[in-house]
Amino acid sequence: MGMERVHCGYECCDEAFEIRKETYQGQQYSQIYFARLHLMRTLLYSLVPNWKPNFSVCTVLELKEDKECVIVGTLYKHMKLKPRILDEYSKQRTVVPLVKPHNFVHPDDPLVLEDESGRVKLSGNVISPSEYATGVVVALLGKETGAGDFLVLDILEAGLPPQIELPLKSREDKYVVFLSGLSIGSSNSNPLQFQLLIDHITGYLGDEKAQSVASQIVHVVIAGNSVEKPRELPNGQKISRMAESIKELDILLNQIVAGLPLDIMPGPSDPANFLLPQQPLHRCLFPGSSTYNTFRSCTNPHCFELDNVRFLGTSGQNVDDLAKYSEAKDKLEFMERTLRWRHLAPTAPNTLGCYPYTDRDPFFIENCPHVYFVGNQDKYETRMIKGTEGQLVRLICIPKFSETGVAVMLNLRDLECHALTFGTQFNS
Amino acid sequence: MASVSGNMKGFFRQRKTKNATKSSKKPAIHTDAPQPPALISHGGSPDIEDEHNDNEAVLRQFDLNMAYGPCLGMTRLARWERAQKLGLNPPQEIERLLKTGKVHTESLWDGRI
Repeated sequence: MGMERVHCGYECCDEAFEIRKETYQGQQYSQIYFARLHLMRTLLYSLVPNWKPNFSVCTVLELKEDKECVIVGTLYKHMKLKPRILDEYSKQRTVVPLVKPHNFVHPDDPLVLEDESGRVKLSGNVISPSEYATGVVVALLGKETGAGDFLVLDILEAGLPPQIELPLKSREDKYVVFLSGLSIGSSNSNPLQFQLLIDHITGYLGDEKAQSVASQIVHVVIAGNSVEKPRELPNGQKISRMAESIKELDILLNQIVAGLPLDIMPGPSDPANFLLPQQPLHRCLFPGSSTYNTFRSCTNPHCFELDNVRFLGTSGQNVDDLAKYSEAKDKLEFMERTLRWRHLAPTAPNTLGCYPYTDRDPFFIENCPHVYFVGNQDKYETRMIKGTEGQLVRLICIPKFSETGVAVMLNLRDLECHALTFGTQFNS
Repeated sequence: MASVSGNMKGFFRQRKTKNATKSSKKPAIHTDAPQPPALISHGGSPDIEDEHNDNEAVLRQFDLNMAYGPCLGMTRLARWERAQKLGLNPPQEIERLLKTGKVHTESLWDGRI
């Protein structure tokens, strides 16, 4: 009694993230900031009349004292605790305070709004600097004070982008498995755990009931950090150790792609380029798996559609960087903020490496995804958020598999999520 | 430079003429004010000709116009196309000049910054 795996229509939407025709001609990051400001400002200008119909819009230099108006620009947060290279050269050799390495936020960090004409310091307690980071474009209602700064009375963010509604017809159960942080080659990766996962997905594990659930898995997405960078070793051993890890990964992935489609994204510790958007891992790294047409090496960030459900996700760098320079109650809140700012990685290129684009900003989110995922997080978390125009997004934080043994399963029918946990210890 | 005369005397010996006669050929370098060395170091040839070139003046205004964004690190045509793409309506005249005329493709700061 053979069981057939369910099929699913797939479409990849990564063209914006692939670097094809771009050339480096000595441009600086001012170009991408200009493109971002212009793109988002045009959008915000169209939203301002509905938001504050009675106030006029002006540029920063046109501000007049005590006149309430709306300004649009890029936020800049001056961070006292952020290490600066110039501090090493400063004449006062003060002892630099021991900073928490994971977060540089200080309660006194001021916010500044900047456009091409000038910049103005922001004041007031309507806008809270700990929630924002450098690189976000917003519209602000307020007025210039006698002290020369801008007292903020209200804030307008771009908001969730438009979303194509999911058809309500009853669909069958189709599952997508999300994984990240396999970290093959590291000391805490357990090959048996991953093998258990593979056996479960490919239907070699469990009774008929478990196998029928497994037959409804239509797609696997690996969100970065599949191999671990080896520690520094004196001679050329580092390269050969990494090669061993990649070979092991190829052998394991081969078992998956023989049965169902797989997307693999690069992460911070994978052998891919450093700047975002990371380009797909090269086919030659996977001599066995890449011969299958179910194997797909993708960019980071990655955008695709499965049966018209739109997915967007990263390997974690955008949210991890935001967590260093702003505060929120959990990682899901950072994810929600990036969607409301309509920008995947606002801290790029300031503190997050990014390619110096000249005429566009590929991290601008044009269409709202139905599922937004972020990999390599500490724990599995998920939430559903709603937009002002009825958009519904499932947010997923995918935990590191090597540390937690948890993968995430999403049902395409109703966007419900649950965790798939694999353990190899017998004590509970 | 001594003017070239028809007779053989001028042929054999370069003789400085007492009265400074203007030669028929206008010299290529035609300076009114002393030029700072920085301008000449670019490309090895002074850009003085461009000062008299109206096209270049128009293009420099395009380079310095803040509305179209930074001009460093991009060719002028690429910047014009970006302005077009972002809906800024850059003047068509600039595109014509860049595509047809013998003008500098790079912005005025190219090579100097």
